[in-house]
Amino acid sequence: MLETMDSGRKQALFEQIVMPHLNAAYNLARWLTRNVDDAEDVVQEAYLRAFRSFETFQGEDGRAWLLAVVRNTCFTWLKKKGEESAVEFDEQVHGSAGDAPNAETVLLNQAALGSLHGCLEGLPFEFREVMILRELEELSYKEISDIARVPIGTVMSRLARGRKRLQLCLAGALK
Amino acid sequence: MNCETARLMMENNDPGLDDHLLSCPSCIMRTHAQYYEAPPGLAEKIRGQLRKENPTPRPIPWRWMAIAASVLLVASLTWNLSMLRSRVDPQQALAGDVVSAHIRSLTGTHLLDVPSSDHHTVKPWFNGKIDFSPAMKDVEGFPLLGGRLEYLEGHPAAALIYGRRNHMINLFTWPSAATAATSETRNGYHIESWSSDGMAFWAVSDLNEGELRDFITLYRRN
Repeated sequence: MLETMDSGRKQALFEQIVMPHLNAAYNLARWLTRNVDDAEDVVQEAYLRAFRSFETFQGEDGRAWLLAVVRNTCFTWLKKKGEESAVEFDEQVHGSAGDAPNAETVLLNQAALGSLHGCLEGLPFEFREVMILRELEELSYKEISDIARVPIGTVMSRLARGRKRLQLCLAGALK
Repeated sequence: MNCETARLMMENNDPGLDDHLLSCPSCIMRTHAQYYEAPPGLAEKIRGQLRKENPTPRPIPWRWMAIAASVLLVASLTWNLSMLRSRVDPQQALAGDVVSAHIRSLTGTHLLDVPSSDHHTVKPWFNGKIDFSPAMKDVEGFPLLGGRLEYLEGHPAAALIYGRRNHMINLFTWPSAATAATSETRNGYHIESWSSDGMAFWAVSDLNEGELRDFITLYRRN
């Protein structure tokens, strides 16, 4: 639908559909890169990419579409930096639900809340992305599966395991 | 419990909240994880970048195009018009040259190269100066005064000067394939031209038209 639009109209549409989701883009980039400067650079690059491929925008949700671009930009950014390995998290190696702390006995205090940030950042990329998209952006499983390029089932299992790991991490921080 | 419960507990400072949060990582994220907002100025940075990426095409300056077009049109018309004006009929140009040569011969000191009423003197004088032999004729009532060398239409031409009272007649002649007959008056001078035996003849004088015609009739008859 956007193939033949002139540049002025493209700019106006982009401003209307994509620009309002700058905070969502930045939040995701900030959580995925875990770095202020990288987040800003990634968001800028992502917007440029989004603008260049805006012709392919099919009129779905602008926020989900933009976040997919941001996610991919982060992914290649981090790979270039050699920081993250996109290796699938191995549940067997990294523990199981059996290690969950007894919630009744642990009091959540300021220290625990402080460690929430560290625990989240400590999650591998593939868990962090689904957790941020689900809990902070409140996207649907379908939208997340499109953005992360994995089946919905994988999204759900990653969410479950990510939450468990977060729980474990918090419990560990409180010990 | 769900996150709505957690929110209510938080609002009411419920001591059971912490327990709930720890049992629900989803809730703890939604209530306590930081949502990073884009730093101020980032939006403008991005917009600037996009403008560079997608420069608005300059509107076509129709107004200036129109002005330029009309200037060109006027220039072209003027040029064409001047070309049209300058494309003067060669016969007309020659008539002008003939009149000029006649006037020049009268105003200067160079009317006659060979002053003689004897065409047996005048005719040989041209030998070696021009590659043709002008027809010398005695014309009754129009005494021959002499001859002169002229240059007309890109050729050397013989000028024969005949008199009539105080008037002079310049008769120019040179070899020419075709000369259209002309009869006209310019600046008070009468001009007559004709063609005969591959020669062009131009007679010009301030004589009245009738007498000049008489001269030509007599000259051509002889």
